[in-house]
Amino acid sequence: TMSSESSKKRKPKVIRSDGAPAEGKRSRSDTEQAFEIEERRIQSCVHFMTLKKLNRLAHIRLKKGRDQTHEAKQKVDAYHLQLQNLLYEVMHLQKEITKCLEFKSKHEEIDLVTLEEFYTEAPPNISKAEITMGDPHQQTLARLDWELEQRKRLAEKYRECLSNKEKILKEIEVKKEYLSSLQPRLNSIMQASLPVQEYLFMPFDQAHKQYETARHLPPPLYVLFVQATAYGQACDKTLSVAIEGSVDEAKALFKPPEDSQDDESDSDAEEEQTTKRRRPTLGVQLDDKRKEMLKRHPLSVLLDLKCKDSSVLHLTFYYLMNLNIMTVKAKVTTTMELITPISAGDLLSPDSVLSCLYPGDHGKKTPNPANQYQFDKVGILSLRDYVLELGHPYLWVQKLGGLHFPKEQPQHTVMADHSQSASHMETTMKLLKTRVQSRLALHKQFASLEHGIVPVTSDCQCLFPAKVVSHLVKWVMIPHEDYMDLLFTKDIVEAGLAGDTNLYYLALIERGTAKLQAAVVLNPGYSSIPPIFRLCLNWKGEKTNSNDDNIRAMESEVNVCYKELCGPRPSYQLLTNQLQRLCVLLDVYLETESHDDSVEGPKEFPQEKMCLRLFRGPSRMKPFKYNHPQGFFSHR
Amino acid sequence: MTVFSQSVSPCGKFLAAGNNYGQIAIFSLSAALSSEAKEESKKPMVTFHAHDGPVYSMVSTDRHLLSAGDGEVKGWLWAEILKKGCKELWRRQPPYRTSLEVPEINALLLIPKENSLILAGGDCQLHSMDLETGTFTRALRGHTDYIHCLALRERSPEVLSGGEDGAVRLWDLRTAKEVQTIEVYKHEECSRPHNGRWIGCLATDSDWMVCGGGPALTLWHLRSSTPTTVFPIRAPQKHVTFYQDLILSAGQGCYVNHWQLSGELKAQVPGSSPGLLSLSLNQQPAAPECKVLTAAGNSCRVDVFTNLGYRAFSLSF
Repeated sequence: TMSSESSKKRKPKVIRSDGAPAEGKRSRSDTEQAFEIEERRIQSCVHFMTLKKLNRLAHIRLKKGRDQTHEAKQKVDAYHLQLQNLLYEVMHLQKEITKCLEFKSKHEEIDLVTLEEFYTEAPPNISKAEITMGDPHQQTLARLDWELEQRKRLAEKYRECLSNKEKILKEIEVKKEYLSSLQPRLNSIMQASLPVQEYLFMPFDQAHKQYETARHLPPPLYVLFVQATAYGQACDKTLSVAIEGSVDEAKALFKPPEDSQDDESDSDAEEEQTTKRRRPTLGVQLDDKRKEMLKRHPLSVLLDLKCKDSSVLHLTFYYLMNLNIMTVKAKVTTTMELITPISAGDLLSPDSVLSCLYPGDHGKKTPNPANQYQFDKVGILSLRDYVLELGHPYLWVQKLGGLHFPKEQPQHTVMADHSQSASHMETTMKLLKTRVQSRLALHKQFASLEHGIVPVTSDCQCLFPAKVVSHLVKWVMIPHEDYMDLLFTKDIVEAGLAGDTNLYYLALIERGTAKLQAAVVLNPGYSSIPPIFRLCLNWKGEKTNSNDDNIRAMESEVNVCYKELCGPRPSYQLLTNQLQRLCVLLDVYLETESHDDSVEGPKEFPQEKMCLRLFRGPSRMKPFKYNHPQGFFSHR
Repeated sequence: MTVFSQSVSPCGKFLAAGNNYGQIAIFSLSAALSSEAKEESKKPMVTFHAHDGPVYSMVSTDRHLLSAGDGEVKGWLWAEILKKGCKELWRRQPPYRTSLEVPEINALLLIPKENSLILAGGDCQLHSMDLETGTFTRALRGHTDYIHCLALRERSPEVLSGGEDGAVRLWDLRTAKEVQTIEVYKHEECSRPHNGRWIGCLATDSDWMVCGGGPALTLWHLRSSTPTTVFPIRAPQKHVTFYQDLILSAGQGCYVNHWQLSGELKAQVPGSSPGLLSLSLNQQPAAPECKVLTAAGNSCRVDVFTNLGYRAFSLSF
């Protein structure tokens, strides 16, 4: 730059010097001019050359400078790179170091035997106590060695055991083969022995088959089956036990869980599809849920009780799996076809024949308190609506199956208790037989009563006088509501004796113009529980126990003094004897009525009964008590 | 069950009731009337079997309870009666004429001046028994049918008896003779033939007598043997008594009727039994807090009226 500056400064000097002389001397000659031009041209060429040289020099200097810079830069870069490399290596090494430090050798995860055990157990060539005691690294190595040694030994043992097991399995196979070949042989022997069994009346085969099927029964039915068979064999030859139903279905109930899981996933997929296609109605879903809840076990136990007159009570016991209760369906068959009188409709009907076998056991409600919660989920109000189809869940049925429901606590496990069943078996069987017999007896009696004849057996004739004039004209069954509506039965209703498990009847006894209505409450537990009578006499006004003390006395004669009318055990004659007594009482009442002096004409009912006295006591009681064999009437 | 008779203890705190099964129950009136009375207080303190037949009549002396039923009269000591297994002190049977059937004793009457007891019932006679010795001193005959009720006319002293034959007979005890007979059914004002002629209840106030049963409940003037007031009630009455200036009666129907002497019905208080057979007023001076009217009849309950106007509660066998 200095050279260029200097050249620039020279230029103007040159020009000035050129300019000044030019003005003064124009006339000079051309050769001077041409010489000057030549000089100037040479000068300019020199100047040009100098310029060029300077330019060249400038360039060269520039280039040098650049080269120097470049070199220096290169060096710096190299150092920089070295630095980076080194730093990188440092980082790398640091990482490696930390990795190494964090390294958890697998050997730390192994539970090695404790030091003491190690030293005691390991052979000296491994433990090398002298070296290892001092050096923890060697010690660990030794311990690992020992560990390896032990594992090798154990692996050996394992291989040995496996091979043993294989051997034994093979032996088992062989023996199984042998046994299975035995089975058909035994079967053929059993078949051959069947005719012999029949000949000797020992149906072992049949019993065996039953026991086979019994294995598939649910626990309560199994308890019932065992207890009933035992009782039948030991105490009561008239009881026979059988199992009905499909064993395959029972087996199918116990599918292994994996299969059912697969089914579930399949069915889930299916369900998704169906919901996309068409959602089933809520009602149908609920219905299905209900059906599922009330499902019965496919097997049922059938008990047949033969009674003395060769009528049979068939009892079929079912087990409701989800509700964990047992139910029973009953049927009575007789040797001869029974013509059912109209009033006897409910006596032997399957719905009510076993009602209240034990007092209060009406079988319309489930005995398992836990069921209420289950019912709420599927909208079932009560089991009552389903009893016709499913059978009645009486309490004695649960007891026979060993199911015990304490009153206030819901139970979830199936506890089928044999001892409970056994103690109830005998009582229940006896009650069942009595129940059937009494119902059949009533059945026969009702047929006669509907025809207006009170059937009195010969051994009960002594309870009544020979001549009885009042007679039964009507005997009908009335529904529960009608009984409650009658005016003269209010006190029975108030005393809580007119529940809906009883049967109600209306009898009409007449003599002349006198009509005696008798409303009868027949408890299902007849005849151990006596019927209750309420009377209303229509003769010269309406007389009931609220306005006539003698009507009260008549009611007391049949209701309170019923024990005299029971007749010989099992006292199925109680009802008919009570009715006959009512006829006798009406006779006495009408004949002993004192004559009204103001009314003209003879008494409607002349006195024919022999009575010591007509009235007695402050209540002026009539002589209702009949004395046999003298045949007169007196007061109690 | 029918409760036939009642009797208050001499101390006034207990009530004995006899029923048709021959049982006697002793209730504690003071416990049942106290402010802490619970349901158990309305049950008997003790119930025991007294007679084989119904206990038709009971009276109390100052130490004994006398009960009568089927032909016998028994004496019990009030002081012992609350103990378990109480046995009667004595039992007597009047000399009966008939042997076929033992007649019942329907009414007992104490004659304090003579210290004797009059019994009457099924054999149509009035027997008088000396309470000291237990002997039967006299038998008054005259009724033609069995006797329902007795009443004592203090002033004379005379005994009135009413019976099934429809007559009220007055007997002089000293002469042992019948001095007056009123055949109620023969009087048109009160006779009700459709009910019968039997006299079921009697009460006397020396000059006056009220009787009822088959015929209507009627107030009679004794000296003139005329009926002065006929009380207008259809149902036959089984018990009647004078109380202060009222006449209380009860019978068929559940009511205790309060009558004024003029014949007006002052009140008809319902009880809990469909028919009533006996009324008892506890007027023992020793227990004024137990001054109640009790009514019993054709049920196992004995109604207690603390204020005559309404039934407070019922004791029950």
